Amino acid sequence: MITITQEDFDPGVYIDAARDRQVGGIVTFTGIVRDDSISAIELETYREAALQELEAIRDEALSRYALQSVDIIHRIGTLSVGDHIVLIVVGAPHRRDAFRACEFIIDRIKETVPIWKKEYTNEGSRWVSGEHS
Amino acid sequence: MKITVRAFAQFREVVGEVTVLDLPEGSGLPGLLAALASRSDESRNLLFDDQGAIREQVIFMVNRKRVPRSSLDSIILDEGDEVAIYPPVAGG
Repeated sequence: MITITQEDFDPGVYIDAARDRQVGGIVTFTGIVRDDSISAIELETYREAALQELEAIRDEALSRYALQSVDIIHRIGTLSVGDHIVLIVVGAPHRRDAFRACEFIIDRIKETVPIWKKEYTNEGSRWVSGEHS
Repeated sequence: MKITVRAFAQFREVVGEVTVLDLPEGSGLPGLLAALASRSDESRNLLFDDQGAIREQVIFMVNRKRVPRSSLDSIILDEGDEVAIYPPVAGG
């Protein structure tokens, strides 16, 4: 499942859902808001393009690695320190493919998916500068 | 022809979330940016450097498809196209 949502999620629900008779390992990445002396962050997206890009990343992961399932949930809106930002759940027959695919997916998300972060501090707000132009 | 421009993040704050531009037939992305830049000095500084070149941080999508830097000058826009402009992404 690929989702962009304002709602929080329970990683355990998605890990359980990835269980399958063909799955020997499930690898997850959970991104959370780190305390960089901020009070909140706000995530903005170009939703239609971001969903399309997340689907393309999933499809590329499925073609590169031997996987049983890929789920990606990305939150938008206002989040506080400790809140979930993103969840990736990869189920595969063997652990190596699951680990590699999970890392591939989060790296690609940071490179290409149109989502931006604004940090709020006591002094004001600032956009987090992306690394890839 | 009418072209819809959507801007995101700090670009949205300067240019506006959605702008409909009426451009001459045959216009491309540099012409579209010049039309946006003519609306305010702040827009011009955001989109163009001091030499008048399009800043490297400006990323384009046309109809939700990323435009490689090398194709910036070759794309011809059509009536009803949706162009998105945004800075480097920072999700995940």
